[in-house]
Amino acid sequence: MFFTRLSVTGGMMLLVALLLLPEPISATRKYSDPAAVNRSIEQLRQANPSLVKVHKFAVTPGGREMLMIEIGKSGTSVPAVLVGANFSGLTPLATEAAMSLASRVVSDASLNGKLTWYILPIGNPDAYARFFTRPLWSDPGNGRLFNDDTDDQTDEDGYNDLDGNGIITRMRVKAHDGTWVPVEGEPRLMRKADAAKGERGIYKLYTEGIDDDGDGQYNEDVPGGTNINNNFPHLFKKFGRRSGLYPGSEPESEAMLRFAFSHPEIAMVIAFGQTNYLLSPPKGGRKGSIDTGSIRIPREMGASLGIDVSRTYTLAEVIELVQPMLPPGMTADESMIASFLGLGEVVNPMPDDMIFYNEISSDYKEYLKKKGITAERLDPAQPEEGSFELWAYYHLGVPVFTIDFWGLPKPKEEKKENQGDEKKNDTVKADQQKGDPKEVAQLAFSDKWLDGRGFTPWKSYKHPTLGEVEIGGFTPFSDNTPPESMIDSLLDLQLPYIPELVKRLPRLAIAEVKTTEKGGGVYQLEAWVTNEGYLSFPIAMGKRNKVPAPAILTLEGDGIEILSGKKRTPIGEVGGMKSVKYVWLVRSPKKETLTLRLESKQAGNDSKMTNIGG
Amino acid sequence: MERKRVFMLLAMMALAVMLIRAQEVKVPLRFDFYYSYEKMVEAMKALNTAYPEFTKLDEVGRSEEGRIIWALTINNPKTGDPFSKPGVYVDGNIHGNEIQAGEVCLYLANRLLTNYGKITEITDVVDRNVFYIIPVVNVDGRAHFFSDANTASTNRSLRIPMDDDRDGLFDEDGPDDLDGDGNISTMRIRDTLGRLRSDPADKRLMITVKPGEKGEWTLLGQEGIDNDGDGLINEDGEGYVDGNRNWGMNWKPNYAQRGAGNYPFEGKGIRAIAEWMLARPNIILVFAFHNNGGMYLRGPTSKEAGELPQEDVAVYDYLGEHMEKIVPGYRYLISWKDLYPTYGDFTDFTDKIIGSYSLVGELFQPATETYDGTLKRVEEERSRSGDPSAGDRQRLLFDDNVNQGELYKEWTAFKHPVYGDIEIGGWTKMSSRLPHPFMLQDLVHRNASSVIFAARQTPRVTMDVFEVKKIGGDLWSVRVRLVNSGAIPSVTYETIRNKLYPVDKLTVTGRNAKVASGGVLTNAWMNQVNYKEYRPEVQMCQVPGMGKVEYQFLISGRGDIEIRYESRKAGSVSKTVTLK
Repeated sequence: MFFTRLSVTGGMMLLVALLLLPEPISATRKYSDPAAVNRSIEQLRQANPSLVKVHKFAVTPGGREMLMIEIGKSGTSVPAVLVGANFSGLTPLATEAAMSLASRVVSDASLNGKLTWYILPIGNPDAYARFFTRPLWSDPGNGRLFNDDTDDQTDEDGYNDLDGNGIITRMRVKAHDGTWVPVEGEPRLMRKADAAKGERGIYKLYTEGIDDDGDGQYNEDVPGGTNINNNFPHLFKKFGRRSGLYPGSEPESEAMLRFAFSHPEIAMVIAFGQTNYLLSPPKGGRKGSIDTGSIRIPREMGASLGIDVSRTYTLAEVIELVQPMLPPGMTADESMIASFLGLGEVVNPMPDDMIFYNEISSDYKEYLKKKGITAERLDPAQPEEGSFELWAYYHLGVPVFTIDFWGLPKPKEEKKENQGDEKKNDTVKADQQKGDPKEVAQLAFSDKWLDGRGFTPWKSYKHPTLGEVEIGGFTPFSDNTPPESMIDSLLDLQLPYIPELVKRLPRLAIAEVKTTEKGGGVYQLEAWVTNEGYLSFPIAMGKRNKVPAPAILTLEGDGIEILSGKKRTPIGEVGGMKSVKYVWLVRSPKKETLTLRLESKQAGNDSKMTNIGG
Repeated sequence: MERKRVFMLLAMMALAVMLIRAQEVKVPLRFDFYYSYEKMVEAMKALNTAYPEFTKLDEVGRSEEGRIIWALTINNPKTGDPFSKPGVYVDGNIHGNEIQAGEVCLYLANRLLTNYGKITEITDVVDRNVFYIIPVVNVDGRAHFFSDANTASTNRSLRIPMDDDRDGLFDEDGPDDLDGDGNISTMRIRDTLGRLRSDPADKRLMITVKPGEKGEWTLLGQEGIDNDGDGLINEDGEGYVDGNRNWGMNWKPNYAQRGAGNYPFEGKGIRAIAEWMLARPNIILVFAFHNNGGMYLRGPTSKEAGELPQEDVAVYDYLGEHMEKIVPGYRYLISWKDLYPTYGDFTDFTDKIIGSYSLVGELFQPATETYDGTLKRVEEERSRSGDPSAGDRQRLLFDDNVNQGELYKEWTAFKHPVYGDIEIGGWTKMSSRLPHPFMLQDLVHRNASSVIFAARQTPRVTMDVFEVKKIGGDLWSVRVRLVNSGAIPSVTYETIRNKLYPVDKLTVTGRNAKVASGGVLTNAWMNQVNYKEYRPEVQMCQVPGMGKVEYQFLISGRGDIEIRYESRKAGSVSKTVTLK
């Protein structure tokens, strides 16, 4: 295996020490292929039969069985955390993290006692399996047949390992219509020629291969169907090359949709993969169909409701306008108004949720600092359209956190003295001249810590149709997959933060029940419901999409009559570390014990008894 | 004594069985009554039994409550297997209450099968196409519409329980048939401070009080009680996932559009039908029947979905302009613009993912329920007469004297557990969106005729090798013309735009021949050809409706060459010519 072969050099030790942990490395964990992961899951279950259940989750188009690990003593009766990893199939470290987390949860009673864990270590096993085959190439598509070039054949023109080094890299060819030039001072890297500077392109770039089907194109129909991490329903990109026919068109993603919506106890989702909300909280700024800060009321609607249509309103203002027009007992809320006005779906994180995302991110950075991690890495990516993490937040309405566990270290730069904006722009241009910053970092990492194995030097090759070419370039996965020797230290550093995350889950409790006699057998009952957790129940997105199951307060007592209030009271929202008061007026002719029961799938159960009458 | 009673009971039961037998469904089918779900299945089986060689009955899938969704495939095996012909898919009743849509589908099947070999147009349309017919999509909805008390509009959704009022309970407070007449009607209470009073011209109607007038009534909504004791009546009824908002194209979540469901294809039957259709790539024409408005709708179903390519619009316009004449009073409209936008709509899915021309038929026209039988549109009647109740007045007159009052329930006193003395009355479930059975025959025939009209326009591609010319040495010029005599192209333009699937293929093969070059002949007179640089022996193509496409191949060699056209949706055709 390519990533196994990489030995830990002295330099590597230094890097790990610098970037991660001041502890010695013991390389025990290795990247495991889908079959080996399934075997480990089964072993985990056999070793802990009372704590671990294994669900047959789905079978991929490539015929691979997906297993979901359930850990916990209490099943669906307590809140659950759903952990999904490696939906792109391109993140081996994510799968190892999920497996390591499973072991940690099994051996930690504080984690498996009051919570249930659903852990899916490989969201896209078909694509992931490619990591273990040679030649090495990467593609997030699952095993579904897909005709990329819509010609008369499918998967007929994949990559070819022309130089026989077991790695699919790239080919560069001198051509009149070339658009690429080598980077000055680092001719291994390529950059776009800048016509404004009078530059002409020299090279054309291809991926390594021949024109297998003789259609004039190279590697245009490689095996690989749908990227599961693009196949979820939020911001699904229709007719995208790897997005699938429709959201949930694949067994892998469909199983997840079905699973999540049949487990309303899922209170938090954690995704291991390509993004890291702990370092880079989700970003807003996407243009939605309608700006909820400036809503125009349609003329006819305005006329019938008596609303001035010449100006715009915020969503809160519309709620205020509409509330008095509703029949008694009906409450206008954001969701109702947004749906009534056809405002469409939410595409940016709710502002109230950004508060916890930013606070937790600061806390996490503080945590890393305390662990002695100061070195900078490249910024994690933002989630892809149709990804698991986007769907989980926008459609389940629960807090979602993501971790990628490793990123390329930022190459050291000479410090420049305070620059004006103009100078900054010049610097950006100059950086582009140096090549793509990610490629620069990737090459630096390969040179310094991988003995150059992350990059195949350009070497000339006689290509059957392109003639004289050079083959070389980056090793697939070398941008996001550190050598196996680093896995343990990376996980030991970052997985211990997961318990910190789940500690923040909302926990609802009945703080106090108070009764006041009003005379004539009439009592006022007051109950304080407190959220003992940091996160609000539900989060703002859950309030908007109304997917999280409501928490219900039930008042029980024989022979009582409820004069005011309801027997079953839905609890709308309780902010983190906040309390909300509920009041009933009841009549009881004789002495009675009242039970107040609080039930929430996501935020726990509680009950309190009180006596009235007599 | 006891024994005698048991005997009597048995005798009555035997008589009942005999009566049911007597009503057994027979081919040709009758269309003067509405088929329950069970009867509908029986009717499909009867057609299948009567025409075993032409029909196939498939279990497409099962619903939430386990009912089978049946599809009837009509294909003449003597003219080829199903995939060698254009597929015409017709369904109905995706909304459980819209039952006559099922009858349209059933009538179409009955019409095609019982008249094959008798009427030339029908024989031809059956020989050239394969028909896929699913009369009832929402099988649970249809079953409950018949068996339960309903309004004309309830029981629309799939049987996926939803907590509409967010109290942690599911579907716990729907309407109740308080008077036990099988209908959910309207409740009203006497209220001198109410906003309504009885219409002096017809006491059954209520009109809004004018300032200074005394009120008489307050409306209390649909018949029902507060089943869950939460102070609200009928606030969490059956469902609500709308089968026609749950398809995986331009789908939006439930908070953006009520009825969407938690995710696309959450509905078991909906997913099963999608998969069944995807397994039939030859489907080029889709009809989905609904029940209200008197319209044929084309996509797009939302503005965001983007306008269809103009060439596709032209095809729809041609079909629509004829179809709206086939059914008097119908209007051919654009779904999002003329009706309202929908997301996750069935026809958006079939337009874009199945690659078919897709139309929705909204069957019922209230304007046809007139005393004198002429079409009277409610809005026109209102503005003409200045009487806001003009529409209801017309319908009551119609019901009184044409249906003998069958569809309207007189206001009747009732003792309500919460409201006390109230009245229950109004239009019944078999009214308002359903034609009286005496008008059903006309409705189903005309709509089936629209489907048959459109099915006659499916692509019919022929090949003409119109030039085989030696141009020196062993090099030949061969010109091929593909002609489509149907109005519907062999591939929709939307499909081409989205690169949905590999389009049609024209290939040239010969044992002793090599295609040196080939491409679209854009101008035969001026000899202009768009040559394809690589693999000229394979041309990916489309044949436009009522149109042609021409190719020129330069072939070196001799002997027989086969020119073959293959299409997902328009079958295949081939010719062999000899280079000599």
